[in-house]
Amino acid sequence: MKKIYQGLLILTLGMVTGCDSLLDIDPEFTQDAENFFNTEEDFDRAIIGVYDMMQPAYLNMWIGEIASDNAIAGGESVNDSRGLHEIENMTHGGVNEELRAVMRVNYTGIARANYIFENQENVDFEGKEVILAEAKFMRAYFYFNLVNYFGDMPLIVDRRISINEITNAARTPKATIYEQIETDLEEAMEVLPWTANETGRLTKGAAMAMLGKVLLYQSKHTEAAAILGELIDTNQGGYALFSDYSTLFYNENRNVSEDVFTIQFSGLQGGDYGCLVCLNGNAAVGFQSIRQYDGPLYADGNSYNLPTQDLYDAFEEGDIRREATILDLEAFIAAQPNPDEITYAIGGGGHTGYYNNKYIKRLNERGLPDDDLTSPLNYRAIRWADVLLMAAEAFQRSGNDDRARTELNKVRDRVDMPEVNSSDEALYQAILEERRLELSGEGFRFFDLVRTGQAADRISGFISGQHEVFPIPQVEIDLAGGIWEQNSGY
Amino acid sequence: MKKVLLLYFAMCLSLIGMAQSNEIVGKVTDESGFPLPGVSILKVGSTVGTVTDIDGNFSINASSGEELQFSYLGFKSQVITIGSNRELEVVLEEDVSNLDEVVVIGYGSATKRELTGATAQVKGEAIEKMNMPRVDQALQGKMAGVNISTNSGAPGGTSNIRIRGIGTFGDNDPLILVDGVIYDAAGLNALNPNDIESVNVLKDGTAGIYGVRAANGVILIETKKGNLGTKPRLDFNAYYGVQQTARRLDLLNAREFAILKNEAFAAGGQALPFNNVELGEGTDWQDAVFQESPIQEYNLTVTGGSEKTSYSIGGSYFAQEGIVGGPKANFERYNARINFTTEIAPKLKFTNVLLFTREQSSTLPQGGIGSVLYNTINAYPTEPIRVGDRYSYLENVNDIINPLAQMENAYNDSYVNKLVGKEELEYAISDHFTWTGRAGYNYALVDAKTFNPLVWYGPGKFANSARNADLDPVLVDVGGLEIERGANVFESRNTFLDYNLETFLNYNRTFADLHRVKGMVGLSLVGNRSEGLNGTGFNIPNNDLAFADISANQAPGGFLNGVGSFQSRQRLTSAFVRGEYDYKQRYLFSAILRRDGSTNFGPNNRIGYFPAISGAWVISDEPFFNSGAIDFMKLRTSFGVSGNDQIGLFRYRGLLNGSATYVFNDLIVNGAAIGNTSNPDLKWETTYQTNIGLDFSLFSNLDFTANYFIKNTKDLLFQPDVSALLGAYGPGGAPPVINAGDVLNRGVELELGYASNRETGVNFSADYNMTFLKNEVTAVPQGFEFIPGAGFSVGGNVASRFQEGFPIGYFIGYQTDGIYQSQEEIASSSVVQAGAQPGDLRFVDHNGDGVISFGDDADRTQIGSPIPDMVMGFNLTADFKGFDIGANVYAALGQEIIRNYERQQPFANQLAYNLNRWTGAGTTDTHPRLTTGATRNNVFSDFFVEDGSFMRLRNVQLGYTLPLPVSQKLGTQYFRFYLAANNLLTLTKYQGFDPDVGSGNPLFAGVDNGIYPQARTFMAGLNIKF
Repeated sequence: MKKIYQGLLILTLGMVTGCDSLLDIDPEFTQDAENFFNTEEDFDRAIIGVYDMMQPAYLNMWIGEIASDNAIAGGESVNDSRGLHEIENMTHGGVNEELRAVMRVNYTGIARANYIFENQENVDFEGKEVILAEAKFMRAYFYFNLVNYFGDMPLIVDRRISINEITNAARTPKATIYEQIETDLEEAMEVLPWTANETGRLTKGAAMAMLGKVLLYQSKHTEAAAILGELIDTNQGGYALFSDYSTLFYNENRNVSEDVFTIQFSGLQGGDYGCLVCLNGNAAVGFQSIRQYDGPLYADGNSYNLPTQDLYDAFEEGDIRREATILDLEAFIAAQPNPDEITYAIGGGGHTGYYNNKYIKRLNERGLPDDDLTSPLNYRAIRWADVLLMAAEAFQRSGNDDRARTELNKVRDRVDMPEVNSSDEALYQAILEERRLELSGEGFRFFDLVRTGQAADRISGFISGQHEVFPIPQVEIDLAGGIWEQNSGY
Repeated sequence: MKKVLLLYFAMCLSLIGMAQSNEIVGKVTDESGFPLPGVSILKVGSTVGTVTDIDGNFSINASSGEELQFSYLGFKSQVITIGSNRELEVVLEEDVSNLDEVVVIGYGSATKRELTGATAQVKGEAIEKMNMPRVDQALQGKMAGVNISTNSGAPGGTSNIRIRGIGTFGDNDPLILVDGVIYDAAGLNALNPNDIESVNVLKDGTAGIYGVRAANGVILIETKKGNLGTKPRLDFNAYYGVQQTARRLDLLNAREFAILKNEAFAAGGQALPFNNVELGEGTDWQDAVFQESPIQEYNLTVTGGSEKTSYSIGGSYFAQEGIVGGPKANFERYNARINFTTEIAPKLKFTNVLLFTREQSSTLPQGGIGSVLYNTINAYPTEPIRVGDRYSYLENVNDIINPLAQMENAYNDSYVNKLVGKEELEYAISDHFTWTGRAGYNYALVDAKTFNPLVWYGPGKFANSARNADLDPVLVDVGGLEIERGANVFESRNTFLDYNLETFLNYNRTFADLHRVKGMVGLSLVGNRSEGLNGTGFNIPNNDLAFADISANQAPGGFLNGVGSFQSRQRLTSAFVRGEYDYKQRYLFSAILRRDGSTNFGPNNRIGYFPAISGAWVISDEPFFNSGAIDFMKLRTSFGVSGNDQIGLFRYRGLLNGSATYVFNDLIVNGAAIGNTSNPDLKWETTYQTNIGLDFSLFSNLDFTANYFIKNTKDLLFQPDVSALLGAYGPGGAPPVINAGDVLNRGVELELGYASNRETGVNFSADYNMTFLKNEVTAVPQGFEFIPGAGFSVGGNVASRFQEGFPIGYFIGYQTDGIYQSQEEIASSSVVQAGAQPGDLRFVDHNGDGVISFGDDADRTQIGSPIPDMVMGFNLTADFKGFDIGANVYAALGQEIIRNYERQQPFANQLAYNLNRWTGAGTTDTHPRLTTGATRNNVFSDFFVEDGSFMRLRNVQLGYTLPLPVSQKLGTQYFRFYLAANNLLTLTKYQGFDPDVGSGNPLFAGVDNGIYPQARTFMAGLNIKF
């Protein structure tokens, strides 16, 4: 009897531990993150993941305008995207969903790029260098965004950071991050082709323009002038100003010779408000369109990011860029044959009568539902006119007024504006003013004002020494273990 | 077996008895008139006795003045003195407070007397009488400590079962076992409440016999089985009812709307929208949307048994249409089941449980922004329902669409075919050892079809899928090719299999009539496997439901069509042991240990051990205990550890299931990215629960149970926000699941039962239960102040949170203190409230810095909690001379609800309370002014939080049972018909459709987005036994 019990006991224990092997199951038909980058295709797929993180460009398109003298936040009410309203009024603080999104999006892009670098030695194949160069470019782009918004930020390179390391991740001085950005762009520049085999892939020209921009933002004018000058002189990418400024931002004119560094969008995938970073459409466009509009040419939207009277007034009469940049809705309606039948609504978040006419939903440019979110309009992060104006500024600041005027007047010629003949400080001011007229509504204004020291003059409520950078979201400081000091003044 | 022998014996005796002269003959039935076989009849003071036969008949020799005692398990004994009447009709009364009643516990059973843990029981009849579509709905208010809230009153809508509060941020559903087979909470739809014999809930640490799945409590449901040696009995039950909405909201009519909107636009500095406000009543959208709709059920069961086999076989049909949407919000259920037990060899018993269910359901968009009722509430009364031959557009409010058009275009059907069963062998090895082995399975095949026709709700409506009012399809550019994107149909076929294999050995022996030892040791493997395929086909011909099938798609080149699939599996291996000892059934002890291994965790933390101990002391058995009034008194205590592993699969590892898409050559290309971030140290949540309880009975008809519990849940599994640095916030990305945070639930439960003595002629019973609960988050993950929950309004603030020191999902917002009456009042106020105008809400400066901060949390505070302080249930039944009445009342008190179904848009319709708006100094101190201009009145404040307390008469029923001779003339053994009403009356101050606002996610509880209300139902029904 005792033996039977003993036998039973052994049998039971055997079964108990034997059953544990049933627990060793793996997920099916999916790859483990630690077992990737074994083939060329794996690298091809991973780099798409990095490109993906440039699509939440709507944040730059809004904040770059709303924080500046160009636009107000708008929207349904002052509680609708409250963070944007606070940025408009320069009352933003440590609680700001939009700023948090900026931080999340850019660090996710960095993590996705670093994931590739972490595994770059796994396998060799022809073309790997190009993929790595694309990843370097984009890592530089993400860090550049972070530096512009927040100043010093933790620099994580070539590996993913684990959850246990977060609380040791100190803020890296801005200058060190800039060194990394420059290195990445220089290395990318060496490898990327002038013309990519697929529309939308990054090119050597894009990397040079980006490097020029990064140098200009650091006031390294001579170096910026050199790289931008080289880009303009060699121009193996075949870049040129698009002839018709008034239709430049139509979808039919996507990926033209003016496109240097463009973030690509498509209307072919639906989307919803639940996940803005998931979209393949340009979310900014629908948001910026006319609330409950029912009429010709345009389609309805959420009345965000509305241009100010100040911007409208900045244009000279006869500058076709005014109408191409700003939609004066009442004037537009009055000019239609059936003005009484055209209706729209005014949002409670503010109203100027003006709408961003570059990135706006037009009737024939809608994506799949919800088409407020799925615009196919590409976002031009750097276009040829920007390259020319950056070059003009860099040359002027480094003492070459002749070359500066040449590049400036190329931009003015395109829109039939008279040439600028001034020199020195007047020329510099003309170049800065031209940047506003040429590039308004594209998300650069606030950063231009800050880097050129005009922000305090131009933005009401702007406090020098504080508002040059945004506050780091308080929750992110807490999540990082509270070791980061908040930006001064916040 | 014994019963069968007795029966045989009885038949012999009755044959002999025929010859006797002073013979008494008679029949024993239960209260419903059904014959009871095997009732033992003893002549008092002698050894002469008999038992009733299969028809309940008996005969015995007895003379006048002698006493006969009738006794039967589960019924109260009765003594009858023989008079002149030689023919007896004996009705035995069921013993409701029977301490010897057998209760199912994990891997065994126990009598109520022996129980050491905190449990609650409901019998099948109490569930049956509720006439509810689902068993969980019937359980609301039936048991202390078991709180049921409703996610949706729509047909097929689900409830939340929460045992002893909300312990976790994640899955709070209890483990549900029906005849030992695992069901998920939503799967209860498959079960016909009429088929249920009993429900037993394990509430405390003794539920730990189920280890890593037991932290939320365990519900053990037994379905009806037959009895050995009983004649076949046919039960037929049917009811038919009409449902209607129990409440409509008080909304503005057209005239009121025009006046208020003019006022709001004027205040906002805009042109008045209405030149003429005398618009009368206008459109009553609720009138158009709500309808009366039928509910019905038919149920046929045969039960019986032979010497070695007992069975219960039945079928049922249930159908319910919605009070919104009618057939478009429909639920139908077909059930067929076979339960039988047979002795296949001596000592070897085989049990089979088999249930086949087919469910058909249709659903409408419900319970959120964009739902039919949300649109109904916000549609404005100055718009007609139809304009010409089309539905009106409601053009003035961007995202509100015509609810009638919306319903017409909704085609969302699903079909569930489900097979649930168990095969079990039980072998009595010896007098003391019993071995049980069983296999259970719950297999569901779920087909779904959604047809999305091209629709046009008016210009600029987000829900449009057509290009224009002519329903021309949108044109899509695919690689330079222009393709029409027409109507589409989505179809999916998913299968879900839950299975369990269990073997266990029970030991039961009493030594020297004093020491009883029970033991159980077992092993189990529980797993599930699910797979699914789905596809979308575009360009359905003619935009017509008649062609709504993927096979009919006309998508050029198939470019737009899509496919998908999923598969998952998980396993749980367990070993468990339980030892029980009692001395004279007076001192009882029990100990449990369970070892679980779950595939939901990584190798670092896969195996867990869960112990529990409990004990009870039957004080009333003590020699010193001497109270005539108290029949029974037991003190219980238990402590146990249990777990929760329900967090989703493979969350401990990082997988490439993120989303990576970009656009090259104007086409979307797919790549790869990490989805959720890994955490190899992930482990289960652990719940430590202590329970102290007291049971006692008074005067043999009053039962009382009280429990006090402390339930501490630690290492909560959830996915709190992590630092942006981790890069977890890309498309398809998710932060790692971690163990952090603690929740404490404490409570007191009271149950009171009364059953009258039969002698009075009126049979009356009542029971009352109440639960006080206090829920508090006692820790949040390091580095977090709180976890955000539900949002308020569109694009608005986060209104609920998980935060230390507060109940789960408490509401946080601004506290108001009346209305600013004048500019002077604003100017002279010690608190600066930016932008305040006369007529605006005055917010409380919570941190006392003299400024209302709208940019941060400084002035936001707790303004409500969705968790009731107390819930209670009251059940009453009475019968007299064939008539019976029953009522069930449920109340939840002390919780708040967020009114979140008002669209804050200039032209959206509003609730009638806005008529009390502020219009000038001194007009009101509660309702702010109306304006279309910028105002802070719409930020989340206590203005939008209402008292959600309610008391509801859930069921009231009046029945009549025909006297036995009459029903026999009709060829039946029992014939009862009744009238009933569900949800007849609700007492509440809440303004919304239904104060019973539940949510599966505890952070979204109590947020009313326009919940689909529970219907008020009037029913007539029949219960017949043949």
